[in-house]
Amino acid sequence: MLEPMMYIGGAYKHSQLIELVEDLGGYILQKNIMQSEVVLLMLVPINDLTIVEAKSRELLGKLTRAPLTGSEIAAVAPTLAYHHLPHLDCDVAEFLRKQGAKTNMIGLARGVGKRICQLTAFERDLINEHDVAVFILGNYEHCIIEKSKKLYEGIEIPIVVTGAPELRTEDVPNATAYVGSFGRILHHMRHAEELRTLDKLSAVIGKVLDDVRIEIAKDPPSVAPPRIKKEIEEQIPEIVDNLHPLPITLQTGGVRVKLPYEEYHEQIENIKFVEGVSMKEVAHVLPSKMRNFILIKAIPKSETGFVI
Amino acid sequence: MEQFETFIVESPDATGARTTRSLIQDTVSDLSLSRAIVRMKVFVDPVEPVFILAALLRLGSPSIKLKDFAKIDMGTLGKDEVKIELDKEMFTVKLLNKLWAKYGKNNIEQPDKKIIIVKTDPIRDLDMLRELVIEEPQQEVLDRLIDAIALRIIPEGFRVRKHELSNTHVLFVASEDTLKPEWLAKGQEIMDSLRREENA
Repeated sequence: MLEPMMYIGGAYKHSQLIELVEDLGGYILQKNIMQSEVVLLMLVPINDLTIVEAKSRELLGKLTRAPLTGSEIAAVAPTLAYHHLPHLDCDVAEFLRKQGAKTNMIGLARGVGKRICQLTAFERDLINEHDVAVFILGNYEHCIIEKSKKLYEGIEIPIVVTGAPELRTEDVPNATAYVGSFGRILHHMRHAEELRTLDKLSAVIGKVLDDVRIEIAKDPPSVAPPRIKKEIEEQIPEIVDNLHPLPITLQTGGVRVKLPYEEYHEQIENIKFVEGVSMKEVAHVLPSKMRNFILIKAIPKSETGFVI
Repeated sequence: MEQFETFIVESPDATGARTTRSLIQDTVSDLSLSRAIVRMKVFVDPVEPVFILAALLRLGSPSIKLKDFAKIDMGTLGKDEVKIELDKEMFTVKLLNKLWAKYGKNNIEQPDKKIIIVKTDPIRDLDMLRELVIEEPQQEVLDRLIDAIALRIIPEGFRVRKHELSNTHVLFVASEDTLKPEWLAKGQEIMDSLRREENA
């Protein structure tokens, strides 16, 4: 089992930490160098965590658990109008991104109102491609409850709902978790109290993702998603020149590859692992609803009978 | 933000009322409307659902016409032209834009900083040019006000709306369903109470 970790420290000798994590069988997911500081998002084997902690202490860096690492989160707003943008939605999306998640913002076509709200089939499928959906709703308790009764129809991933009133999760139908103190805020969230609310949201999402990971660990995928990412980076050179943000986006159960499906899906299906299996034996390579990207879903061990 | 003389948000949902109040304050300061609105009362009932917003306005100076800051005369004798002599340069850019749009750039000359020649029939256009409206501060404020109320404050799902707008007041009644007569009556009642406060 791999543990999502974030390392913040000086750029000096940070490559030693990268090498250590790779030698232990972990993965470096993102490396951001800002002047003399470096931020590493990585997956570390849970049994070797103490070794990595010792190394980070030696380098005078800070190692923290970042449960949002390696997940793709949909920040869903009822529409992309002034009512919700830019402040609240962007704040939520940016904050989760800082915690290591990849966030995509989705504005629904007809998501407004408590009686008239709808979710189209395309929107539903698009949201289902993510790990968690965060629905950013408004001010009134009655509206949030009424809307939750029907808006999330067909969504199979965990749903986190935000709104102004402090409700219990049980009171919000169909929601996996509810976070209060949000509501329709038309200013940049920067006061201490508001930042604490955002912290609470990321903690709640972290908890939801941990539950997802525990569920996945019961029937682990035949190939770990970071391994898929590594093999694609090594075997498909075009990905290096790809200008999309995070050309290979990690999810809890697979990856999204930002290359056109028609041209590349065969090449990806035929990627060979050193263990002797090819990609199509351990993962489904599917067309994504997002543009013409590729979505790779790892097949669980119970279907293939082996884990590489 | 400069506070209105009356600013009340009423709702059976206390949290909703508080956040609605804060979002109205944000919008008003974003669009710098705090000086244009004197009193405001808002009533929201998400269960019904209805949203009523009533406000008394104090708009700034009236519109500015060309004759307010310039002398308009016939140009050189025997030529079809109108001569505008500006007293203030403040509005030159806006004036030129309006003239260009109306007559085309090749019919406007500016031989001096404060003199503009318009090539047109003076007998026909002289009076019209004198009354030409260059700036409408009141209209601009009203445009911003509508932007604030209709596009930012009223919840997006409330698409059935009825409004009254004048230079002194604005009243919006909005809902997700067909508007009921009692809501319209409540809107009028809130408006009247604001007026009574103003006159008291």
